[in-house]
Amino acid sequence: MKYVLPVVGTVAAVGLFAFSTANQAALAVEKPSYSDTFEQLDLFADVMARVRSDYVVEVEDGELIEDAINGMLQSLDPHSSYVNPDDFLRLQEQTSGRYVGVGMEVTQEDGYVKVVSPIDGSPAKEAGIKSGDYITEIDGKTVLGLSLTEAVNIIRGETGESVTLTIARIDEEPQDITLIRRAVDRAVVTHEIKDGVPYIRISQFNEKAAPGLVEAIAQLRRDVDGKLPGVILDLRTNPGGLLDQSIKISSAFLDGGEVVSTRGREGADQQSYTAEPGQLLKGVPVVVLIDEASASASEIVAGAIQDRGRGLVMGMTSFGKGSVQSLIPLRGGRDGALRLTTQRYYTPSGRSIQGTGIDPDLFVSSYPNDGEDHTRMSEADLPNSILNEDAEEIVDDSVTEDGVTDDTTEDAAEDEMIIDYPPEGFVIQDDHQLQQAIALIKSGDYDQRLAELQN
Amino acid sequence: MSPKQGFVLAGALTASLIAGWSYAVPPKPIDAPSFEKLQIFADILTIVETKYVEPVETQALIEGALNGALAKLDPHSSYVPPTTFTEQRKAARREYGGLGIEVIMEGGLIKISFALEEGPAFAAGIRSGDFITAVEGESILGRDLDEAVEGIRGLAGDPVTVTVLTPDQEPRDISVMRAQVRGRAIRHRVEQGLGYVVLESFNNTELTTDLERALEILSEELGGEIPGLIIDLRGNRGGLLTQSVSVSGLFLDGGEVLSVRGRKDIDTERYHAEAGELLPDMPIVVLVSPGSASAAEILAGSLQDRGRAVVVGRRTFGKGSVQSVIPLPGNKGALRMTTQRYYTPSGKSIQGRGIMPDQLVSALDDNGELRRRIREDSLPNALRNTDTSDYEEIYDDVMFPPETFPIDEDFQLRTAVDILKTSRYQDLLNAQSDLD
Repeated sequence: MKYVLPVVGTVAAVGLFAFSTANQAALAVEKPSYSDTFEQLDLFADVMARVRSDYVVEVEDGELIEDAINGMLQSLDPHSSYVNPDDFLRLQEQTSGRYVGVGMEVTQEDGYVKVVSPIDGSPAKEAGIKSGDYITEIDGKTVLGLSLTEAVNIIRGETGESVTLTIARIDEEPQDITLIRRAVDRAVVTHEIKDGVPYIRISQFNEKAAPGLVEAIAQLRRDVDGKLPGVILDLRTNPGGLLDQSIKISSAFLDGGEVVSTRGREGADQQSYTAEPGQLLKGVPVVVLIDEASASASEIVAGAIQDRGRGLVMGMTSFGKGSVQSLIPLRGGRDGALRLTTQRYYTPSGRSIQGTGIDPDLFVSSYPNDGEDHTRMSEADLPNSILNEDAEEIVDDSVTEDGVTDDTTEDAAEDEMIIDYPPEGFVIQDDHQLQQAIALIKSGDYDQRLAELQN
Repeated sequence: MSPKQGFVLAGALTASLIAGWSYAVPPKPIDAPSFEKLQIFADILTIVETKYVEPVETQALIEGALNGALAKLDPHSSYVPPTTFTEQRKAARREYGGLGIEVIMEGGLIKISFALEEGPAFAAGIRSGDFITAVEGESILGRDLDEAVEGIRGLAGDPVTVTVLTPDQEPRDISVMRAQVRGRAIRHRVEQGLGYVVLESFNNTELTTDLERALEILSEELGGEIPGLIIDLRGNRGGLLTQSVSVSGLFLDGGEVLSVRGRKDIDTERYHAEAGELLPDMPIVVLVSPGSASAAEILAGSLQDRGRAVVVGRRTFGKGSVQSVIPLPGNKGALRMTTQRYYTPSGKSIQGRGIMPDQLVSALDDNGELRRRIREDSLPNALRNTDTSDYEEIYDDVMFPPETFPIDEDFQLRTAVDILKTSRYQDLLNAQSDLD
């Protein structure tokens, strides 16, 4: 089975989900025959039958059941969902990283659609839509009452068609923005030389990510005419994507060894994923930039590089999505597919980042320390998000130890956490985090800082 | 009404207001296989049970599924899990351990506004108009009403000593045994020589009885006849269909109160007032607000349609649907589902439209508030009304409190009193029939 690490809370918004048919047979064999299940199914069928016969207006059976399935899956966690046959077909087309739309990752908040990030080079990005914007209306109709999937389906459409989004920002009048839909080709890897330092940005982990990285490195080598003085890997606002892509990307930096391990319900189906031997960037200093919107596959890459001591992680604590979703086709996809959280993943040192995120080695903020809250939504803020097992264990410990609290190293780190804020008058668009990464590589302090962290 | 089902016109926004509960519906045969997608549902349930990252409770999954499906139907349909269902049935009886008194704060003391005749306080000689100055020897002074009442309430069977002051008498200590008392569904008082009753909801099965008794008391207090009555339904979010019919019946001499219709026109049921009217010549003003919903709209609508009362206030919420609470076999909770729409005697559905008052009166200053109200038609997935003709409050027709009007006084109530005491009452009644 191919695993997917969907983007933050996104339901089929960007079309970045792998699928496979490999696991169906295995699942069928494991079908349990709990009598409780049948009893509950009876209850369900009973209610559905009554709705069909007695509801005040006629109800379409298919819609009713689909709403039920979505209700059930939403009660599990924010990343499990049902993909209906139409969406599943679309999803298959999109795994390549190409789809027709306006190009943004979205989530839902307070009933509104919230932009997680516009995709580079998309109509949304060109029109100035920003992370954190709220979409309150689509073509003049409110999004309230729509599920995220429904809203996304309305925003999407055919090439050349236009869609008008009403965008609300805090402290601004809502504005209508009209966008022309088109095939959004997800150039997910971009590169350039910034102040003499090679810089690579990965915006999403679709199937083009790893090949794009290899190409970017080759191009950068040509640009600097030889050895790379260092590389900044920018994973900020990267909401994740395919698990296998995160392994391949990590392989560019690591010479074999574990990148990540995943564990299912009983811990029985533990699986370890290792980097390929040999590394593309041997001996090249690496600074990984992360922020609060770096999630899932981004956190795997940052976590592996951090845990293996391969580079320095800079920025702010990441989103904290430590779960893996499987895309399970139903009856070969004729009934759509089930996207279900089946595993947690662990960084090479064995930690789960679910709900906690990756703490950078060097905290650097984009925003001034002006007392205003610039933090964004994180996994722990999502409704029904699954708990970190470590958090659960800590609760248990405090009970058995008679209330004696053990100061964990994590707590200590938090106390000592020093955040580097941009100086007064710094223009936010100048990107303080990136400036600090460039400065670190240029200063020659990189080796010393890395060595300090090893001790 | 159908003897089989308990109809509920429950709170406009939440399921917690369900009070109505009556009889079980015999389970119908289920032809589950005809649901094409039920198999997909069963498949997904099985996969979730075996593959989800954490162990799952099947019951919780089914609850999530039912809520997902029902919430999409409309804002008033939902699944009621067994524990909640039991609690709601208890709450419908609204029993608590107390003394059977209704109180207000006056001059820092608790004033008895009403003592239930069957309550222990009444039995111990406490009457409306008495004051309570201390509870268990501790002075009430300086406490707010909630704190003060907290000390009076307690477990049924436990005694409490209250210091009672009857005007022009010496204070006396009275020990009263707390008892299970039914909370009264209404409040009443004399307002400037007129009768005034507040109906907070229609959830109580004794509402009509309580109201009849309150009218008797008011009649006595007003010297044998109530010259005019104000029925305050502001903020009343509804309740039991049967109660809205029987309350309307108090003021109407037979005839239709409302009709309800299910999916097919053939399902139409008509509800009639009993013959004979309690107080035939008494003028009535019904006070309504945007928070008046459901059963409250039935009462206001029937009295207005039948020309029996003048409706004053703001356009009502507009919930024109009836929910049935259907207990599920095997103690599996209940299904609360919209099964019917209802229509006022003139055949109008108030769904999404509400009742338009004969005299529009705002409680607050003209501050733009008119345009910012949550109403039924602003709820997600609300049922639509087939009647889409214009039905907005006409701004110029709205009476606003004058600038000098004291903020702590009730302008809508004041206007209701003015209407009852002048010829405007008859003018507004005449205007109703002009429209018809």
